[in-house]
Amino acid sequence: MTRAALTMALRLRLASTGSAALGLVAVLVIVGALFPAVGGTIGKLNLPRGVSQLLGGADYATLTGWFRSEIGSVYGPLVMGAVAITAAAASTAGEEEDRILALVLAHPITRARLVAAKAGAVAVLVVIIAVAAWVGLLIGVALGGGGIGLGDTAAFAVHLAFFGLAIGAVALALGAGTGRRSLAAGVAAAVGVVGWLINGFAPLVSALDWLKYLSPFYYYAGDDPLTQGIDVGDLAVLGVVTVALVAVAMLAFERRDLRG
Amino acid sequence: MTDAPAIATRGLSKDFGGGRGLFELDLDVQRGEVFGFLGPNGAGKSTTMRLLLDLIRPTAGSASLLGLDAHTESLEIRRRIGYLAGDFGLYPKLTGAVVLDYLGELRGGVDRRRRDALAERFGADLHRPIRELSTGNRQKLGLIQAFMHDPELLILDEPIAGLDPLVQQSFHELLAETSAQGGTVFLSSHTLSEVERVTHRLAILREGRLVVVDSLENLRRVAVQRLEIEFADVPPSAAAFETLPGVRDVTAAGATLTVAFEGSADAVVKAAAAHEVRAIRSRDDDLEEIFLRYYRAKRAEAPR
Repeated sequence: MTRAALTMALRLRLASTGSAALGLVAVLVIVGALFPAVGGTIGKLNLPRGVSQLLGGADYATLTGWFRSEIGSVYGPLVMGAVAITAAAASTAGEEEDRILALVLAHPITRARLVAAKAGAVAVLVVIIAVAAWVGLLIGVALGGGGIGLGDTAAFAVHLAFFGLAIGAVALALGAGTGRRSLAAGVAAAVGVVGWLINGFAPLVSALDWLKYLSPFYYYAGDDPLTQGIDVGDLAVLGVVTVALVAVAMLAFERRDLRG
Repeated sequence: MTDAPAIATRGLSKDFGGGRGLFELDLDVQRGEVFGFLGPNGAGKSTTMRLLLDLIRPTAGSASLLGLDAHTESLEIRRRIGYLAGDFGLYPKLTGAVVLDYLGELRGGVDRRRRDALAERFGADLHRPIRELSTGNRQKLGLIQAFMHDPELLILDEPIAGLDPLVQQSFHELLAETSAQGGTVFLSSHTLSEVERVTHRLAILREGRLVVVDSLENLRRVAVQRLEIEFADVPPSAAAFETLPGVRDVTAAGATLTVAFEGSADAVVKAAAAHEVRAIRSRDDDLEEIFLRYYRAKRAEAPR
């Protein structure tokens, strides 16, 4: 029964996620192909530190820096966040607002299992986007002249996936707890954007440097997976946050009155 | 525990604040009954049903279905009942067949022949995306999912809403069959005329409180019918109808007289027949009026 719910949740989102994944691959390929032509001429931009930090260093002279800035710091997490957040917010809160949930929950499936199925579906979608990012990156790197190791491209995709899980779990927990889709999606998106800003600017002020630990971006890209590979500690933080938020989603959903 | 009532509530309450909600509902619905749950919109009918389904939790009191606790044993209950929500949605991009397959899988699979038989019976289109269906055709899907696993108890919130008369007819037949086979149906409506042909007993809910539970015959006895009679040219005087037996009230508007009466329609129709009648329309009973009159009748009966 849980599998039926998971399959249905995937079915509802597969088309939009598939096109997002294809778009991501295309952009990565194009970005890689452009590097030989424009990378050298831009070089390393001389930007204020916070701004260059937001753009992943803004070092366009190397292929690694080029990808880190073009994809890693903004476009990649944007696509991942959009897919994970919209899917997670739609899953229980969306069905609750569309009055589908009362009908589904009149069937013999516990609320906790329904949340688990929906969370599982979001995880599958996140993996699809992460694999697309990896494939696109491999092609893009080959077209851009090489220089980023297979392991590092995979590490980038894995970090991106964990970022997606964590930000999706924020939306899932808020949606399960409130039954409001736009609130869940809006707050989760705000966590992403504020996290992105914090990660860029907090390190500039030593008194606020600790704030970066609150940002999902710190764990996603703070240790630069494109050159440093997988950082188990960072992934563990994102993983624990994800599991904790899914547990919160189940508990909150179990106890609450559904909206009529 | 097969002799446990289909539905039993004790002091069941859901206080939404501001006087809204459901208050101290004591209700027993026996196995095999078709039980009508009546009340104006906002009286608490859907709230009661949502409490029974464990979609919302009571602020006080308890409910049991088929002898099982509505909250702690909800999973087992939901395996054995069918529910039609009052204002439900379905996945708009998917077809009815896909959605019914999904809901069937949530039950661990249901007999597809029964599903298809129901679809044929209601003339439901299972192969068009749900967003392209009319309200009535969506309602058919709602009914199919409630009945397709042959449940022991059906909880149907305004099941007749949006159904055309022909489908209503087959729905009524289905209810009769269900009851004949020992199944129980608990259905809500905001008009008596919608359910009077099919229910054995009725409850009337008003502002969150149960005001009447009785057999249909007893309620019919005090119910006021209204006929709107449109005459060809000059209508007969209202006074001619006011003196007829059973007539409570007559109002005139142009060539139309609206006559409210209790009991048989015979005298009114015969009096109208003396003139040229262009149309006769029956108007829905006013629930408020029914239970007020019911109370008056009860008080008159009761020895003081």
